[in-house]
Amino acid sequence: MASNWTERISAFCCSPSGFLSGTNPDAFLAELLRELRDDRASYGVKVLLLSPLCEYPTLLCSSESVGEETALDLMSVFTQCPPRFSQFRCHLLVALTSVLVCSSCVSNRSRASLDFIDLLLQICQDTSDLDGDGTQRCPRATACDCLCEIEASCPGLLSQRLELLAGLRQQETSWLHQAYAGLQILVLRNAVYQLTKQTGAGAAHLKALLDGNTSVAWEADQEAFHMVTKDSAIQSSLILGPMGRVLTLHTGPDCKELRSVLSSLLEESYLLTPLCQAALFHRLTEVVAMVPGIPPTTFRAQLLRLLGTNEVCLLHVTLLMKCAFTDSLFSAEDEAFLLKRLVVLSQHPLLSTPEKLFYMDCILHFPENRPINCGDSDEALPVLLTPQLASALLPTVFNDSATLLARLHLQALVFLEEGEEGGRGLAYIYDHLTALLHIVDRGGSRDIVVTFFRAAFLFLFYFQHVEGYSARLSEQLCQLYLQHTQLAPHILNLVDKTLERLPECNWALGLLQGLQRAISTAPLGQLTLRDLSCHLKVLARVAEEGKISQCSTLGFLSAVITQSSSLLCTSGDWRLGNGLLGVCRRVLLHPSLDSLLIPLADILQHLTCYYGDTDIQDHARLYYTLLTTLSREKLSVVLAQSAAEGGGQVKKRTLSCVMAESEGLTNILTVHQTEQPVFQLTEALSGLQQEMENLQLSQDEGDKALESYRAQFSESGFASQIMLKYHLTHTEPHDPRFEQIFSICLHFSLTDDHYEQLQDISVPCLFRQRPLPVVQLTLKPRRPYPTTIHVSAIFTSKDGLTWHTTMPDVHVEFQQAFLPLPVPLSWSRASRQDVFEGLWDEFCSEMGDSIISLFCCQLREAALKALVEKHFLPFLVSNLSQEDELRVLLFLPPRSHVLLKISSEEDATQFNMATDTRQLLPHMNSYLLTVTSSQDESVR
Amino acid sequence: MSLRALWIISNEKGQKASIQFSKRFSTVEHRARNLAGSSYVAVPEDSDFLQLLLTELGLSNSNKSYVADRDDCLYRPRSPAVELRLNGKGTLWPVLVLSQGPLILACLPLVDILSEPRPPLANLLSVSQGITLLTGLQTFLLGSGVKLDSEGLASRVATLPSLLLQVCPLGTPLDTPLAGTPTASTVPTATVTQKQPAWKTGVYRGRATVNVAVVETVRSMQYGNQSRQDLWDVYGTVTCKCEVEGSLPNVTVTLSLPPNGSPLQDILVHPCVTSLDSSILTASSVDNADGSAFSGPYKFPFSPPLEPFRLCSYTSQVPVPPILGSYQLKEEENNLRVSVSLKLHESVRNSFEYCEAHLPFFNRNQMGVVDVKVSSGQVDVSKEKNLLVWGLGQKFPKSREVTLDGKISFTGSSNGPSDPLCTGLTAYIKLYLKVPDTTLSGCCVDQHSVQVYSSAKPRIVTSRELQSKEYFIWNSTGSAPVSSGQVMM
Repeated sequence: MASNWTERISAFCCSPSGFLSGTNPDAFLAELLRELRDDRASYGVKVLLLSPLCEYPTLLCSSESVGEETALDLMSVFTQCPPRFSQFRCHLLVALTSVLVCSSCVSNRSRASLDFIDLLLQICQDTSDLDGDGTQRCPRATACDCLCEIEASCPGLLSQRLELLAGLRQQETSWLHQAYAGLQILVLRNAVYQLTKQTGAGAAHLKALLDGNTSVAWEADQEAFHMVTKDSAIQSSLILGPMGRVLTLHTGPDCKELRSVLSSLLEESYLLTPLCQAALFHRLTEVVAMVPGIPPTTFRAQLLRLLGTNEVCLLHVTLLMKCAFTDSLFSAEDEAFLLKRLVVLSQHPLLSTPEKLFYMDCILHFPENRPINCGDSDEALPVLLTPQLASALLPTVFNDSATLLARLHLQALVFLEEGEEGGRGLAYIYDHLTALLHIVDRGGSRDIVVTFFRAAFLFLFYFQHVEGYSARLSEQLCQLYLQHTQLAPHILNLVDKTLERLPECNWALGLLQGLQRAISTAPLGQLTLRDLSCHLKVLARVAEEGKISQCSTLGFLSAVITQSSSLLCTSGDWRLGNGLLGVCRRVLLHPSLDSLLIPLADILQHLTCYYGDTDIQDHARLYYTLLTTLSREKLSVVLAQSAAEGGGQVKKRTLSCVMAESEGLTNILTVHQTEQPVFQLTEALSGLQQEMENLQLSQDEGDKALESYRAQFSESGFASQIMLKYHLTHTEPHDPRFEQIFSICLHFSLTDDHYEQLQDISVPCLFRQRPLPVVQLTLKPRRPYPTTIHVSAIFTSKDGLTWHTTMPDVHVEFQQAFLPLPVPLSWSRASRQDVFEGLWDEFCSEMGDSIISLFCCQLREAALKALVEKHFLPFLVSNLSQEDELRVLLFLPPRSHVLLKISSEEDATQFNMATDTRQLLPHMNSYLLTVTSSQDESVR
Repeated sequence: MSLRALWIISNEKGQKASIQFSKRFSTVEHRARNLAGSSYVAVPEDSDFLQLLLTELGLSNSNKSYVADRDDCLYRPRSPAVELRLNGKGTLWPVLVLSQGPLILACLPLVDILSEPRPPLANLLSVSQGITLLTGLQTFLLGSGVKLDSEGLASRVATLPSLLLQVCPLGTPLDTPLAGTPTASTVPTATVTQKQPAWKTGVYRGRATVNVAVVETVRSMQYGNQSRQDLWDVYGTVTCKCEVEGSLPNVTVTLSLPPNGSPLQDILVHPCVTSLDSSILTASSVDNADGSAFSGPYKFPFSPPLEPFRLCSYTSQVPVPPILGSYQLKEEENNLRVSVSLKLHESVRNSFEYCEAHLPFFNRNQMGVVDVKVSSGQVDVSKEKNLLVWGLGQKFPKSREVTLDGKISFTGSSNGPSDPLCTGLTAYIKLYLKVPDTTLSGCCVDQHSVQVYSSAKPRIVTSRELQSKEYFIWNSTGSAPVSSGQVMM
């Protein structure tokens, strides 16, 4: 059982939605809680069982009331757990916190959450083990962490406990004082924030808060409390920098109490771990920022220690302090020192790459004492960062790609600021780019290739106007391309992005021209087919630019197809042919077409006659005809029409795909994806009830009823299927494109292994105004559990396009697997009852997976009758009118049974259950819960 | 200042990347939803997350040379915090990623600043906290950083739930996993008057011992070329192991330099150092060297943790490299003529633990005939026949200069390794050396300068050591890559 739980929990955590689609969240939660209460389960397994509750409490406790009940259950587990299992107790506290916070019990101050907070406070104060073996330590620390989390989620909740917490921290000498300190400063910070929100609050209020002598009861200020917690601003950082405004509390210079609390926390800060120190300083900074009565110089004594630290979080919090207090805490010298420090750290040999990159980011967002550009969060260089200082961060080829790009970016900003366009810095950067290019040229890895193109883009983005460099880059890229034609997609991507980001810049067009020139002047002798395919891609892109003359492109095409005709034309490669046509088609649209008429016609004619692929020949012929017969205006209209996404007419689309081999053809050849589901499966009423009425009561099986019932199962496939009928219907909103749909192929994929794989189902057509087609799903269960089936479909729309659509999931409910007793129709009621009796007795022995159970509810007699008629009539073995005990036999393929004896006692209706498959019980339970409660309501 | 989720992914070469461990902090997620309001982006399930992350890191579809989503030149991955673009469901940011060897660690810090567009990373404390936690976990999972066995990793991953309960129970990182385990016996603190630091789990009982080790590492790039300035730098670390009684004992370690030593720069200290003199921090390697700079003694008062720790680190600008080399290659008909000379500087102790010069050859066939003579030491050809290893033993000869001359033919049957940097005559020698009981900067810790404020007289052990890392001597007849922009400017 334990290993089973390990698997199930890991399955749940891998994909909670997938796991829960195969079961019922309530049932799973109930199982978890039952196992947690089970004394036989080991605590190792129990810790595991808590992880779904810790990590996904909202999935399991969908409402506040479920959360509340779960918490009560967990608390009872906590009280019953012996103290020596401290690890488990800690995990339990974490799970409780997760459940109560996430199901909003804490924010609504439910009973359970208040009890839990009391429990936590109690654990926190339990110092009885001071000389013990330390087992209690862990729960105490965890209880503090839980309180911290509760206070963070519900700010102000513990503000009345400040004095208690301060006392606990001061008395504590073991390392636990850290947990108390974290809790105290958070509660203090939230309490001060609340005071800043109250008009007229001042020194007296603050003092009262710290002394804990507020006689105001817990519940009394509920309204004020709610107002503040509903405002999520209290949860966000209050360190806003010189431009942000923090609400302040006016206390005057006299706030001795707060001052003493803060200095005592600061004094002991050294004793905390670096992570907790950083958090403490952050909170303290917020408090001091809110209370102008406390000067920021309070931090002065800690500063030197922090400035020399090797801990990233401590230096970071120092920078945040600087952001909050600027020159009221940091002198100009401090500022210069900090910036130098950041430069040093950004390239320190002992630090890891992520740390270095983070420090570099800190340089770009350096909190200056007197910032010039303000407000926006965009990257800007600090004034003190001179090119000389920044030169420590020049990129080299030995850097990893992230570092290289980050450094390049920083340097670009530095040189841009300096305005030194002919300077040595820029020359260095360009040399560096060239060095990268050489590495790419000599066969650098994919990572280097991508990095080079990103670096090139960065360079162009900032320095495209420095013509000497950008022209050289363009030249070098052309040479690089000729050596490595497989870089075509990278180069074209660079072209497109430069055009997109720098629309007024001509560099990209220059590069395209350069590529065209390079391709058309390179000797043809060495041209491989792979190179050619890349060249055609590049030339097609070049031909899209109206400003670039296409003469040399056509010259190249003509040379390729005539000179090396033996190779290219006879091979008849369809892809290459398409590539050639792609260039031609773009030239057909080119503004300078008139001057290109003859060479283009020659090329098309040559292809028509000699290309070794009929499809390509046909296309070439069509283009030739269009070119030679249509006027330019008509030609561009026809081609433009085909290029645009036309809708509706089948004829037009066929034509267009002949014209535009790329867009139109791929359009018709590819399967399109719908954005929304187009149709869905909705449950059709099953015909079970009618079938049951045909029941003939004749054949009597005598004593052997059970035996002959069992004998039927020897035949393979007997009663192993469930038929479910669905209508295929259009979804709303209505999409005119899918009014009429043809050749629908439905594909089903299971989300678990409870059922055998389903066959695809074909539906000829679906019209909006016609009767709905019925789809019959034949399910073959391995285990008759509820399940979810993903459905998708491929279909053809009226305009001839093929579509793929994802349909809403089909949920197979537990009760849909119910079948009546699978015996011949001719069997008499008595024989059926014999089978029932036989099975009942067998199951009551509770051998194997057999189990009995009892479900009770309050239903009046009429209600019960209605319920049975509505839900159980087809499965009824006894007579509805005659007996006071109703017998229901549910058969679930392939071989499970659930037997029910339903009787009305004076105060309750009892559902006695017996089954041979104990795993069905939770499902049965939740099913009964649903039907009885709904019946209850409907009768009332 | 909290994390929403944490992932540990293994991505070994030749195997499919998989998530070894993941953890979601539901209460932090609850806060994230409150804070972000309508712009809230939920954390995707593990499998989706993995796929998105691999694409983002350029690790997906490694067989395809260009994938638009992955290789767009416009996009610059802002490591250490990347963004994951979820299909039509917003962008998950900032995902912190640390990867080393076969392990990728990632976490998602809570963004507690409401701003549009997103706030800068530098304003979120949770980012540096996340980096700290991930670094700690990485050290814990990979151990000493040597090659990792999958079983060791699996067993360490299995302990993560209980480990996280200590260091990050509800998403707020409190501590990092202990890097080294304290070796000496400790007892939990009994009733004491002094507060126990949270970074110390017990107190030491026994004889007081303080161990201080100074290790300096020298890096160098030598070009043997008038137009290119040779480069070298030195950085040092001071590691301590202190076994001293008391919950908050005081120890002071003092570093001192020889009379004309250049000042220690860029000093970084461990958080257990209680106070610092501001003059110690002033010298910086990115500054113009100031002759009047403070040059010690450098006092570090601290209260030691139980485990070994790095008390401080520094860099130093020494006037000369320990070994000056020259490397010349000449392409002859079918041979490569090799000529090397290495000269040990007179100020360096001529007593090595080891000293080896490696001469790798790339983008050529395997070596055929190797005909080289050395004035000292011995030369071996590696098994793969693409590397000469020149072992120099423990000592340079009296002249302090050694040479290697000879011819190599690359007539082997198969290709050696390739490298995009080292083509043609671009080649290097890499030096591996370790010299005990010396430092290049002259920095040392005198036994008598270590002060321990306790009743019993402590045993004090100090040591020094010089080692090399990235110590390259480039062939002066070929072009060599630029390794520092600062010098070039």
